[in-house]
Amino acid sequence: MPAPKFTLQKPALTPFNVVAGIILAVGLYVTVIRFTQGLAATTNLSDYNPWGIWIGFDLLVGVALAAGGYVTSAACYIFGLKRFHSAVRPAILTGFLGYALVVLALHYDVGRPWRLPYPFIVQSGTTSLLFEVAACVALYLTVLFIEFSPAALEWLGLKRARRIVVRLTLVLTIFGVVLSTLHQSSLGALFLIAPSKLHPLWYSPYIALFFFVSSVVAGLSMVIFESTLAHRYFHDKMDDEHLRQADGVALGFGKAAAWVLAGYFVMKVIGIAQTDAWSYLATGYGAWFLVELLGFILLPCYAFAIGVRDKNLKVIRWTAAWSVLGIVVNRFNVGLIAFNYHLPSSERYFPHWMEIAISLFVVTIGVVAYKFIVTHMPILYSHPDYDAH
Amino acid sequence: MDNPIVTLHDFMLRTESITYILVVAVLVSFPFFWRFLTDRDEDSTRPDGEHSSGKHH
Repeated sequence: MPAPKFTLQKPALTPFNVVAGIILAVGLYVTVIRFTQGLAATTNLSDYNPWGIWIGFDLLVGVALAAGGYVTSAACYIFGLKRFHSAVRPAILTGFLGYALVVLALHYDVGRPWRLPYPFIVQSGTTSLLFEVAACVALYLTVLFIEFSPAALEWLGLKRARRIVVRLTLVLTIFGVVLSTLHQSSLGALFLIAPSKLHPLWYSPYIALFFFVSSVVAGLSMVIFESTLAHRYFHDKMDDEHLRQADGVALGFGKAAAWVLAGYFVMKVIGIAQTDAWSYLATGYGAWFLVELLGFILLPCYAFAIGVRDKNLKVIRWTAAWSVLGIVVNRFNVGLIAFNYHLPSSERYFPHWMEIAISLFVVTIGVVAYKFIVTHMPILYSHPDYDAH
Repeated sequence: MDNPIVTLHDFMLRTESITYILVVAVLVSFPFFWRFLTDRDEDSTRPDGEHSSGKHH
């Protein structure tokens, strides 16, 4: 009797695969409806509320949380903090996937997505902030793709192409920082055009600065958060360098996040002073604003500081997750909750279930792509045939 | 309110005065926060930036 054959293949029906499969199937179904029947069939958008969660979440949150790429590569290659080197590739990958999914989500949100290249070929004014955002996102997505490509080229064994791309690292990093500074702030500046629609506690002449500074917090927190998840689920993919540097990355980024959050808190308070919006703090919107200001800015600032002082990585990692949630809350507040605050409740926006399904679909694509890439490419370990760059 | 805001000057005087007070408070308090954040650093002068084990080399 022949001996039975044993294989070490993982079962296909894992909880992750089942949940991801259901989300992707529903997302594909909604995609067909969106592109055959239009926005009206799949969204609750209206003339009052032309921007829903595909902008408020997929774009505003997506771009902010993808900031880890430029923050980490700037720390490593521009400021020379080589002890964060192991965090660069995962951060660049997260940034690249984040921006790619932002562009994917825009195809759903824009009424005629085939016109997305129009800002470059049918020019209607270079002074438009949307042109600035379009140009920077397109260019930065290209930069992130090139920055990410050495890992893919190592996986494919294309040594010569990889050598050429690696030489561009510093130039690409500088380019990435410049482009990120421009469009992270421009996304906030978009709301400068609507001073009467955005609640006075969130509207500020400094809103562009708020978006940029909070994106730095988002980037730092996201690197720590993503590193925590990677350690938990991809520990076997990590080499000694990643395992050795991980605690230092969390401590260093936690300290930077505490410092930047302190500055962000001060800027937000000065923002209230500059628009003399103090009286609104005693209203319902004021209470929610204070939840954001104290609960999602001051509290994580203090918690990061305590975590860094005590070298308590658990506190730092939980605080990073809390900060990521804080960025989501902030972008939701600006884009959805505090926007059109004066409208009667019957006219207010609440997302259609298909909008939520597409947002989940987009996030799931990102998670599946991340899982595939870190499983196959040298992201969490250095390829033995290549020198670090 | 005792002094209602009527003119742009009133508004600027009020908002800028409060902002200046806030900025001075921040300039005074930030060094303390920096000290709070860093005073337990084991050895920040090491060129490689790695955390020492408590011994100076």
